[in-house]
Amino acid sequence: MINKCINPKTVEEALDILESNGKDVKLIAGGTDLVIDLRNNKIDKNILMNISKLKELRFITIDENEITIGSGTKFIEIIENQHIKEKIVGLWKACKSVGSPQIRNMGTIGGNICNGSMAADSVPPLLALDATALIIGKNKTRSVPLRELYLDKGKVDIADDEILYAIKFHRLREKESISFEKLGLRKALAIARISCSIYINLENNSIKDIKIATGALGKYPQRENHIEKRLVNKKVDEIILKDIAEEMSKHVSKRLKGRSSRSFKSIAIKGIFAEAYKSAIKGANDESHKSHNK
Amino acid sequence: MKKRGKGIAATFYGTGYGNGFPDVSKAVAEVDHDGNVNIYVCATEVGQGAKTIIIQMVAEILGLGMNDIHLISEDTSQTLDTGTAAASRQTYNTGNAVKKAVEVLKSKLLEKAKEHLKLPSLLGLEVKDKVIYLKTFPKKRVCFKDLIEEKISVEETFTAQTVQMDEETGQGAPYWPYTFSCYGVEVEVDTETGIIEVIKGVCAQDVGRAINPELIEGQIDGGFSMGLGYGIMEKLNCKDGEIKNNKFSKYLIPTALDMPELEKIIVEDPESSAPFGAKGIGEPVILPAAPAILNAIYDAIGVRFYEIPVTPDKVLSEINREI
Repeated sequence: MINKCINPKTVEEALDILESNGKDVKLIAGGTDLVIDLRNNKIDKNILMNISKLKELRFITIDENEITIGSGTKFIEIIENQHIKEKIVGLWKACKSVGSPQIRNMGTIGGNICNGSMAADSVPPLLALDATALIIGKNKTRSVPLRELYLDKGKVDIADDEILYAIKFHRLREKESISFEKLGLRKALAIARISCSIYINLENNSIKDIKIATGALGKYPQRENHIEKRLVNKKVDEIILKDIAEEMSKHVSKRLKGRSSRSFKSIAIKGIFAEAYKSAIKGANDESHKSHNK
Repeated sequence: MKKRGKGIAATFYGTGYGNGFPDVSKAVAEVDHDGNVNIYVCATEVGQGAKTIIIQMVAEILGLGMNDIHLISEDTSQTLDTGTAAASRQTYNTGNAVKKAVEVLKSKLLEKAKEHLKLPSLLGLEVKDKVIYLKTFPKKRVCFKDLIEEKISVEETFTAQTVQMDEETGQGAPYWPYTFSCYGVEVEVDTETGIIEVIKGVCAQDVGRAINPELIEGQIDGGFSMGLGYGIMEKLNCKDGEIKNNKFSKYLIPTALDMPELEKIIVEDPESSAPFGAKGIGEPVILPAAPAILNAIYDAIGVRFYEIPVTPDKVLSEINREI
C-alpha cells in the first residue's frame, strides 16, 4: 500500500533515495500501466517515486554511430522524431501503435521496457535492433543487452537501487532496415496479440544479418534465434518464405503448449511474420527508407 | 491474403413495448400568465436527441423558436410518466402525446384570441412568436401575455396500439408501427491473421419523417459502430450466467479508427399514426450491421458463420478447417 510519494528534482537525488530506501520504492513515470495496478492494489511497496519530471531521462541523441533514447522519453516524442520516423521505421511504427494518443502522450519507453509485459509494443523492435539497456545506480553504471534484461514474466534485471537510464542501438546504414507488424483486435487501444519486428542487413541480395523478435508469444518479448539461423547468409531469392513461416508456426505452437491461445497464435504468426519479413526486405532495398512509412 | 466481400441485410423493427403491454406516454403543455410556454414530459435524454426533437415539434405547432420553449424533463416531481427511453419509442409515443397536448393548447389559445379580438370565426388565425393574428389583417393581433390571465394547462395521453400474440398460434399484431432498415457493407478478411476490416458501409434507414436529419445521421454512426462491435468484437464470455470478460481492456468495442466510411440514405415515408410522420430509429440503426457484415464475410471467404462475434480466432479456425 502506497503511503508516501516522492518527487526528486534530479536523477542524483532519485538514486540517493533508491540507495537508502530502494526496497520500499516503486517508480512511476508515465503511469499508464502503474496507475491501473495501484487502483487494483497490486503494488506491495509503500513509497511511490515520481521520475516523470526528470528532464535528464528525457532525450533522444543521435550521433554518428548510435542512437540513445532516455528512459523517460515519451512515445509522442519518439514518434515526432524525424530521424526515427524515416530510418528506424519499425520502432516508429511500434511506438505509434501504443494505446491511444492520450497514452502515447504520457507513456514512456523506459516504462514499456521495465513493466516487463509480454505484449509491450516498443520492445520487439528494440530487441531486433539488438539494443543495450544502460542502467545506473548510486556511483555505478552498467550495460545489459536488452535480450538479457528479461528474467521472467513482469521481471527485469534491474535492482532495487537502480534505474533504467537509457536504451541505445546502432544507427541503420544503407541496406539495413527494421520492420514491425502487430496483430491487435482493433485499430487503436489494442493490446498486441502478436507482434513481430525484423532487422535485416542485405549484401549483394543475400541476408548478411537478420534479427527477429516477437511479442506476446511467451513470458516476455524475445528473439527468435532458430529462425534467424535459417535465414542468415541466404540469398533472398532462394528463401521460401512459406516454409520459414511454417517453421515459425511450429516453434510458437511448441512454446504456447497448454495455452488457450495456442491454435490461433500459431497460425496467425505466419501472416504477421511474413508481413514483417517482406516489409524489412523492402526497407533494406529502399535506400531512402521512406517509401513505407505508414 | 486479403479477400474482399460484400453483403447486405434488411431488417424490420417493431416500435414500443409490444405484445399487448400497456405503452403509455403522458405530456403536459402550458402557457403561463407571462406568456411562457412550458412542456412537461419525462423523456430521458441518453444522447439520442429526444429533448431536441420534442422542442422542435412544439416549435413547429406553435410557431415558436427553439429557445422560446421551456422543456421540463427527467424530473418525476414535476412531470407525469412518459415511459422509458427504450424500445425506440420516445419520438413516436411521447412525440404523439406532446403533439396532442400542444395542439389542444393551441386551439384553446385560438379560441381565447377569437373572443379577445371579437372575431366571428377562428378562420385565418395564425400563431407566430407568441402572437396570434389574423392572416388577412395582421393588425388584428394579441400576444400571449395580454391574452392570458391564468395559465392554461393541457394534459394529454397517447396509448400505442398493440395486440397480445396468441400463444397457440403465434398470431396477432404485437407492434405498431414498424421501421425498416437495409445496410450494405464491404469487408476485407485477412486469411492469414483472421482480422476482419469493414471498409465501407451504406445505410438506408426508414425514418417515417426526418425531424432532425443530423441527429439521425449521428444515430446511424452510433448504431453502426454498436452493430460492428456486436458482429465481430464484443464477446461477453458468459459462463453459468456470469460475464467472464468483464474488463474494457479485453471486452473490445470499436474505436473511431475501426469505423468505416458510411454513406447514409434517409428514407422518408411518413407514418400516418406518428407525430409529423416520424418514427424512432434508436435500435433499428443497429440491427442490419452485424448480419450484413456476416454476409460480406461469407462473400469474401466462403465461410458461413452462425455465431457472433466473428473474432479472428474463429475465422482462422474455419479457414483452416476448409483446407
